[in-house]
Amino acid sequence: MFLTVTWTLLGGFLQTLRLFALTLLFALPLGLVISFGSMSRLRIIKTPVRFVIWIIRGTPLMLQLLVIYYGPGIILHSNVWGSGDGGRFVAALVAFVINYSCYFSEIYRGGIQSIPVGQYEAGQVLGMTKHQIFYKIVLLQVIKRIVPPISNEVITLVKDTSLARVIAVYEIIWEGQSFIKGAGIIWPLFYTGVFYLVFSGLLTVLFGRIEKKLSYFR
Amino acid sequence: MPVLEVRNLKKSFDSTEVIHDISFSMEEGETVTIIGSSGSGKTTLLRCLNFLERPDGGMIKVKDDVLFDNDVIKSLSVESVRKKRLHFGLVFQSFNLFPQYTALENVMLAPRLMQKENGGAEGEIKERAEELLRQMGLEDRMGNYPHELSGGQQQRVAIARALALNPDILCFDEPTSALDPELTGEVLRVIKDLSTRHMTMIIVTHEMDFAHDVSDKVIFMDGGVIVEEGTPQEVIDAPKNERTIQFLSNYSKRNG
Repeated sequence: MFLTVTWTLLGGFLQTLRLFALTLLFALPLGLVISFGSMSRLRIIKTPVRFVIWIIRGTPLMLQLLVIYYGPGIILHSNVWGSGDGGRFVAALVAFVINYSCYFSEIYRGGIQSIPVGQYEAGQVLGMTKHQIFYKIVLLQVIKRIVPPISNEVITLVKDTSLARVIAVYEIIWEGQSFIKGAGIIWPLFYTGVFYLVFSGLLTVLFGRIEKKLSYFR
Repeated sequence: MPVLEVRNLKKSFDSTEVIHDISFSMEEGETVTIIGSSGSGKTTLLRCLNFLERPDGGMIKVKDDVLFDNDVIKSLSVESVRKKRLHFGLVFQSFNLFPQYTALENVMLAPRLMQKENGGAEGEIKERAEELLRQMGLEDRMGNYPHELSGGQQQRVAIARALALNPDILCFDEPTSALDPELTGEVLRVIKDLSTRHMTMIIVTHEMDFAHDVSDKVIFMDGGVIVEEGTPQEVIDAPKNERTIQFLSNYSKRNG
């Protein structure tokens, strides 16, 4: 029984991991684009971008998942997400990417705006180009400042993936719960917690290392 | 021929005129100090020379090179500004060293990036940077990161960094104002040393004794204009203008 449960939960966890990894893959860079938009000097860019960030950060991810999954079908009368498990997974991924890129964008914005203007000016008077100033001076300082908040957000994402079950993405908790109905046992549900703990533990160690690597300067 | 000529320079922020019609010139190898109370426009003047602010009017000329002439040049391209500002170096009040680089790397960064554009040998850049840091008395601090250095040491690294690109004129914006009193001496000493080596320098400072000691010319600014200029003996010891007298007497009262 233990092996069966482990095997089933692993299958669910694989789905969790896929959602986790793909969300990061798309949301980390997209967040940067959004942060540039939210810092734009042009009001026609800045205002709508900040409005969207407000909507996304101000409503539950659960609600966003439902709207993104069901919305197109109801409004356009066509299922843009494709049928079956694959379609639901894509819908979930899209919702996660939108949600997390907005959160990341605010972290990037905070990081970039926290760099003292003197750093830019020092680069300028030394004849550096805008590019050189960003890549050679500002970027690493920004990274150092955003690692702790990003790490927070990433660990939250590990657990948030479980929300995908509301549109029937068979992630690990869904699988664990299925044993309650199917076999009348509850311990697999607790077992899923072990997967989360181990994985978030690994991430904590990883981010701790990155922080330490960047601790050589202040 | 003067190395720097500034004519009728003007700069406003919104509707406040911070620099109102400033003209002066200096010769190669001269040390000019600018004194005056806060808000007199001293710092803005330095920032205009370094193209951190765009003047609203007037002309700036270094040697034969007209860097800025409001009557001729209506817009400055980013690229041309980048070239023009290399005539000047600027040492900031708050050092602004790059925290992720060692002292040596701070000095080498800009020359290395220049070299990518213009060519030149990596070895020479390193040698020159090390020589500059030695000149600043930092031979045993080259591998240290800024946060491991005292304020005085950081400011000396910043001076070396500004010198690394061989500017025609080195500007200092209150270089010791952010330092603890016991650390100002070491920074003033290296500036004085540069002065005796005939580095052309413009120094904005509140250190009156130092200004007296090091300057070929002292400029007193107030309300965005040059009120009085001349040798330290003329301006500091025997000021003629009422405002200069007022400023200097306030200063000596404050400093007992």
